[in-house]
Amino acid sequence: MKVEVETTARKTENGWADQDGFVGPFRPGNGPRNDPRGDFPTGPEVGEKMPNVQCRDSRGQTFDLHADRGNTPALFMFFRSAVW
Amino acid sequence: MQAFDDAGIRVYALSYDEQAALADFADAYNISYTFLSDSTSKVIRQFGILNTIIAEDDHPWFGIPYPGTYLLDAEGTITHKFFENNLAVRVGPEQLLRVFRGETFATQKHLPLDNVPTEVTATVFLDGEAMALSVQRELVAQLTVPLGSHVYASPAPEGIVAVDIEIDANPLLVLRDIVRPPSETHSLSGTAETFQVHHGQLALRLPVTINGMVTGAGNNNEIVIAGTVRWQSCDDEVCDLPGEYRFEIKVPVEAPVIPQIRVPDAERTIEPRAGEHFQHMVNRHKESL
Repeated sequence: MKVEVETTARKTENGWADQDGFVGPFRPGNGPRNDPRGDFPTGPEVGEKMPNVQCRDSRGQTFDLHADRGNTPALFMFFRSAVW
Repeated sequence: MQAFDDAGIRVYALSYDEQAALADFADAYNISYTFLSDSTSKVIRQFGILNTIIAEDDHPWFGIPYPGTYLLDAEGTITHKFFENNLAVRVGPEQLLRVFRGETFATQKHLPLDNVPTEVTATVFLDGEAMALSVQRELVAQLTVPLGSHVYASPAPEGIVAVDIEIDANPLLVLRDIVRPPSETHSLSGTAETFQVHHGQLALRLPVTINGMVTGAGNNNEIVIAGTVRWQSCDDEVCDLPGEYRFEIKVPVEAPVIPQIRVPDAERTIEPRAGEHFQHMVNRHKESL
């Protein structure tokens, strides 16, 4: 899948406005402001079992999603970064 | 977060940051949910959501996912997922909680007989207390249609006004498509013509986000959302003139959260130490090439 990238923008008084109308300091299509357009991968589908996630948490403890969750509903977020 | 705890929902957030960076971030912003470190982007790749727009040899930010959120039921089945293409907007907590509560995004219900107005009434409110940068909230227009009448769903037949929300042009707001309740098919008695209509009480939800020009600081701490709700109601015999309801809602804008800095004699200062962690991230990336 070739993901299309947002590159259209107009210069405004306060920065660059992308095609949705959001204004930011960088021109879209540059560095972190690389927004995908059209189709892009979004992982497993609704109705599928959530793949298990095994890694470490922020305290360095081993983590296993389905073990930690038990029988509790959950919200699982993939986010960009806590650093930038 | 309290609302998610109260609803018995576990919250997890995964990124390609190192453990220490996530720990500092959670401390600085006083966040209680679980942060997960996927510093080699192994889980992100396993889900197939590695951001491939960013070239591997190009940036220390290679390794991030296409950001999104999965909602899981008690059995661990994915019930909903939310992926946005624009980094400037993420689905808000009210929208997520409503889905967990099993409420659909748009509702329509038939009213009890003793609670029916004689003409269409409309109200508009924001689902949420305030606007905040990047957080999508919904403006809700709720209409009540008299018994025996209907309003037209979108798209309406020619010459008829469909039920709609129009926002006055405002460069500070970014709007997404209105979420509409499912419509019902209505046929005029004695004819073969059919229309899509709504009955009873219905809500249209307009996703709305503020853009980067609104900071929440200083004089920039509230925003006015103004517009018009339009509709046209008919019963089987008579069509009323198009109706409208003007609204102007003042909504506070939250200032960005400032990390807490611990008092000087504490063991260590609480702040995200973003510069330090970013340098580490740059080095990590160089070594991986």
